[in-house]
Amino acid sequence: MADHREAVLNSKEYIEPSPMPKDVPHVDELGATSAPLKSASFFIGDRCKEFNDDFMLCKQGSANPGDCLKEGRKVTRCASSVINDINKHCFNQFKSHFDCLEFNNQYLFPCRNQERSLNECVAASLNLHKNIPGSPENQPQIHEKTDPIHKRIQH
Amino acid sequence: MEYVRGKQDLPPPGGFETVKYKRSLPLKGPSGAVIFGTILAISGWGFYKLGQGNLEMRELEREKIWSRINIVPALMAENDRDIYRRERAAMARESEIMKDVKGWQVGQSVYNGKRYNTPSMYVL
Repeated sequence: MADHREAVLNSKEYIEPSPMPKDVPHVDELGATSAPLKSASFFIGDRCKEFNDDFMLCKQGSANPGDCLKEGRKVTRCASSVINDINKHCFNQFKSHFDCLEFNNQYLFPCRNQERSLNECVAASLNLHKNIPGSPENQPQIHEKTDPIHKRIQH
Repeated sequence: MEYVRGKQDLPPPGGFETVKYKRSLPLKGPSGAVIFGTILAISGWGFYKLGQGNLEMRELEREKIWSRINIVPALMAENDRDIYRRERAAMARESEIMKDVKGWQVGQSVYNGKRYNTPSMYVL
């Protein structure tokens, strides 16, 4: 992230032991690693678009991390609600998809079969749909293509 | 003087066999036009596929970028909370250390301005 530095020292690893101050409401962190996040990202984007846009607008107004905590909590709650719902309703498809991502350098294109079943399940049970903004209209999006040129050569 | 009449050299009965002047080379294969056309067709097909593949690459890139855009706010929010927690802890430490110094403002920026700067020093 361009305007973000980790709040850690570069020369020495430092874990801040103090907890979050009491005046800041608690929110459970996402706790998902990169592959599940990537697998669920379009569903997070679908359900949490308003919260995400709000948060990014707030960040555009102020770079101070203390200024957008409220919006940030909403973003995190929404994202974890998506992850929890997928875990509840489509765990097997979800797991097979992010396992596939893990084994394929986190490229999306080798995992279309798993992704298709995950998308179907999520669309049926959660009514969340994968949509890539800016894709050419009047033709299937890249994840809906039945015979793509770029696909896994070895199976 | 007597002449001995020699035998005249004549073609064999039935005549000479015909002279084989026709070239007998192995088959040459398809004509230049056919080869040229085939190469053009194969290359054309390949370039078409290449173009389609490039368009597909563009869409794959778009998909990757949007998959990241969708989760950036969540990651940023998490990181912000961590930075905020660390800053508050650092300020608490600072006020504890500097409590005897009069006029000391805890957490005051070293810059003269309202813009936020990520702290470059931490009191451990």
